Amino acid sequence: MAEQHPDDIELFDYVEDDLAPARRAEVGAHLVTCKVCTEQVRRVEAGRDALRSAQFMHLSERRAEGVFMNLPTQAREPGRMRALSPKQLLAVLTPLIAIAAVVGVLVSSGTGSNDSNGAAAGATAGGAAGAGGAAENAPVRQAPAFSMAGDASQIAAELRQKGFDATVRSKQVVVSGAKKSDVREALADHGPGDVEIVVEPVKNP
Amino acid sequence: MEDPDAPLVARARRGDRWAFEQLVERHQHRLFNLAARTLGSADDAADAVQEAFIRAWLGLPRFRGGSLFSTWLYRITLNAAHDQRAKRRSDPLGERPELADPRDAFTASELSSELQAALDGLDEEFRIAVVLYDILGCSYGEIAALTDVPEGTVKSRIFRGRRRLAEQLGTRADEG
Repeated sequence: MAEQHPDDIELFDYVEDDLAPARRAEVGAHLVTCKVCTEQVRRVEAGRDALRSAQFMHLSERRAEGVFMNLPTQAREPGRMRALSPKQLLAVLTPLIAIAAVVGVLVSSGTGSNDSNGAAAGATAGGAAGAGGAAENAPVRQAPAFSMAGDASQIAAELRQKGFDATVRSKQVVVSGAKKSDVREALADHGPGDVEIVVEPVKNP
Repeated sequence: MEDPDAPLVARARRGDRWAFEQLVERHQHRLFNLAARTLGSADDAADAVQEAFIRAWLGLPRFRGGSLFSTWLYRITLNAAHDQRAKRRSDPLGERPELADPRDAFTASELSSELQAALDGLDEEFRIAVVLYDILGCSYGEIAALTDVPEGTVKSRIFRGRRRLAEQLGTRADEG
């Protein structure tokens, strides 16, 4: 009776050195006498060597950035609202903040006796920047604050790592050019505490 | 098995974009290799990876950790690559962005190699098996979970995929 050939899986395990020693010896003995199986093993090893010589490729930075820029709102309400990451937020807010600052200066210097015009211009600029209710000619220090547990320096460092413009001033963590809700979200892991977080919708000049 | 991505995944599931960006940076190149080797096109692969991450972000609240996060991502990427292939078939002259990054030139060269041509000639099930095992180093278990087949079938597909690949390379060498 002719000796049975090992099946594909056993030959694969032989190539990968995954057979028990006794069975490996039997398959090895078979290969000495069987040209068909020996040729299969040779080809499979050649295919393996070719595949493992493949070069690792990198996604280009431009395409990787595209992932972040196209990220929609998460599945809670998919596709209905477009939220921005801290990186995106800074990219969008920076020019709007500059425009709002120029408008604010023009309004305050040119229409000193006309408060209603100033109010309209300031409210428009604040609304466009999504700054959460910044009023006309409002000092940037009027941004709302909340408190978090932890060390002020560490919280500022964490926020900077997440793309925010955060500094420590007078024991407060001051976050410029951001939305309060984004900062809250970024610090979701922190419980309430005594480190005051100030969110400034407009950077100090 | 403990998932090394679990802490970031937990934060990303709560909507933390920074955590998700860390996950993207950690996995993007492996997903790109998976998509590029299975599609044979850098542009289509990049589109598929971008789509996969968007699907992953939207699907994260439903990810329960039943598998490794990376395995879940691979599955989404394979599905996105499958859809991308169908899209390309229906619109073969669709928009193809210019290659501007130096990395793109390397990728283009790699995807025009003899090896890639031989990979392109394999049946999809064999191509996916050998790319996952021999190029990306996935385990039999991961590949079985990804492709919904028993581990024995995974081994058989790798065996036959490698053998066919060697035959194709040998044929091309003989033709040369």
